[in-house]
Amino acid sequence: MPHVIAGLGLLASLMLQLGVVSRVPLLSGTADLILLFLAAWGLQERVKNTWLWTIITGVIISFISAMPFYVPLIAYLAVTGISQLFQRRVWQTPILAMFLVTFVGTLFQQALYILSLQVIGTPISWSESLNLVTLPSLLLNLLLAIPIYAIVNDIAGRIYPSGIDNEY
Amino acid sequence: MIKLFTRGNIKSLVIILVVVGLIAMAMGGFLTPLFNLSLSPLISSQSWLSMRYLAFREFFTAPKDVASLRERNTQLEVDISQLQSQIIELEERLSEAQILYALLDFARTNPQHEYIAATVIGREISPFLQYIIIDKGSNQGLKHGMPVVTQQGLVGRVDAVVANAARVQLITDANSVVNIHLQSAKVEAQLVGSLTGEVALEMIPQDITVEPGDVVLTSGLGGNYPPNMFVGQVISIRKRENALFQTANVQPIVDFSSLSAVLVITNFEAVDITPLIP
Repeated sequence: MPHVIAGLGLLASLMLQLGVVSRVPLLSGTADLILLFLAAWGLQERVKNTWLWTIITGVIISFISAMPFYVPLIAYLAVTGISQLFQRRVWQTPILAMFLVTFVGTLFQQALYILSLQVIGTPISWSESLNLVTLPSLLLNLLLAIPIYAIVNDIAGRIYPSGIDNEY
Repeated sequence: MIKLFTRGNIKSLVIILVVVGLIAMAMGGFLTPLFNLSLSPLISSQSWLSMRYLAFREFFTAPKDVASLRERNTQLEVDISQLQSQIIELEERLSEAQILYALLDFARTNPQHEYIAATVIGREISPFLQYIIIDKGSNQGLKHGMPVVTQQGLVGRVDAVVANAARVQLITDANSVVNIHLQSAKVEAQLVGSLTGEVALEMIPQDITVEPGDVVLTSGLGGNYPPNMFVGQVISIRKRENALFQTANVQPIVDFSSLSAVLVITNFEAVDITPLIP
C-alpha cells in the first residue's frame, strides 16, 4: 500500500509538472513539483522507501526530459540525500527543514543543469541563468514548499500511523 | 382663589416637563444611542420569535405538495448544473475544433506536404530548455527530425519519439539553429534560440541592409527543415562597426506560450550531416 500511494503521488506530481506547472513560468523559471514532493517525502521520519522512489522517478524524468541522461536522476538523488540529512539534524522543525532542503536542493539541481548543458555545448551563461531561471525557480519552489509539505505529511501520516513500526 | 401651586399640581408639572424634555431630546436625536442600545436585543429577540412562529405556521399550513415541489426544484437545479457543464465541454470542443480547422486549412493550402495533427500534452520539465511533448509517436509514423508547424509557421522538429508520444525541440530552444533566408534582403542567415525563449538572427553580413518588418523564412539549407516555411519578422537590428556580422532580433509568428495543437510534416526526412562535419 505505501508503495502504491507513493507511486500515485509521484505520478500525479509528474503529470501536474508536465501539463500545468511547466506552462506557468516566472520570467524563465518554473517550479519543480517533483523535487518538492521528493524533498517532503524524504523529510518524513516514518517513510522508508524514499531512495527507491527517487531512483524510479529520476529514471522516468531522465527519459522524458531533454536534459542529458541521468542528470535529473543525480539531481533528485541529491535532493533526497539532502532531505535525509536535514531530517536527522533539524527534525524538530520540519517546515524549516523543508525550506532548507528546497533552497539547497533547487540551487544544486539548477547548478547541475547549467553545468551539464554547458558541457554539451549549449550557449548559456551563469549570470543569465541565475537571474532569469534559477532565482525565479527558487522563489516558486519556496512558495510551493509549504502546501506540498502539508499534503505529503498528511499522506504519510495516513499511510504510516504513528506508533506502528513499518519495516521495509 | 384657587391655589395653583398645590403639591399635586407641582408634581404634575414636573412630570410634564420631564416628558416634554425627553420628547425634545428624542426629537433632537440625543437619545438615539440609548434607543439603539436598548432596542437591539429586543429586535433580535423579536426576529427570532417571528421566524420561529412563521416556520411553525408554515409547517402546519403549507400546501401538502411542498415536498414534491422541493424535490422538483432540486431536480431542476441538478439539470441546470449538468447543462452548464455540457456548455463548458462544448465550448472547449469548439475551441479545439477551431484550432483543428485552422490546421486543416493550412494543410490544404500547402498540399506538397503530408501532415499528422497532434495535441500538445506537456512541456519540458527543465526551465533551461524549450521543448514540448505531443501525443503522437512512432505508431503514427513519426520519426526523429520531422519538422513541426502550425497554421502560422514553423514550430520546431521532432527530437525523440516513443510509441505514442514525441518530444519536439522548439526553434526558441538555446540549442536550436535554423538556416533561414531574409525574403527582402535575399540573404542567408541563422536563427538561434536562447535561454529566455527569444530568437535572434546571426551571421548576417555587414553590407546587407536589414529592416524591421523583414520576413524570415526557412532556407532549407542543412536539410533540417523544408524551405520557405514562415518563421517570423525582424523587429530590431544590432550592428557593430568592429563585428564581422550583424545580428537581429526576430518576433516568431507562432505564440509558443499557448501552443495546443501542431502539425508534423511526415513526408520530410531530415538529412543527417553530422558525419560530414569535421
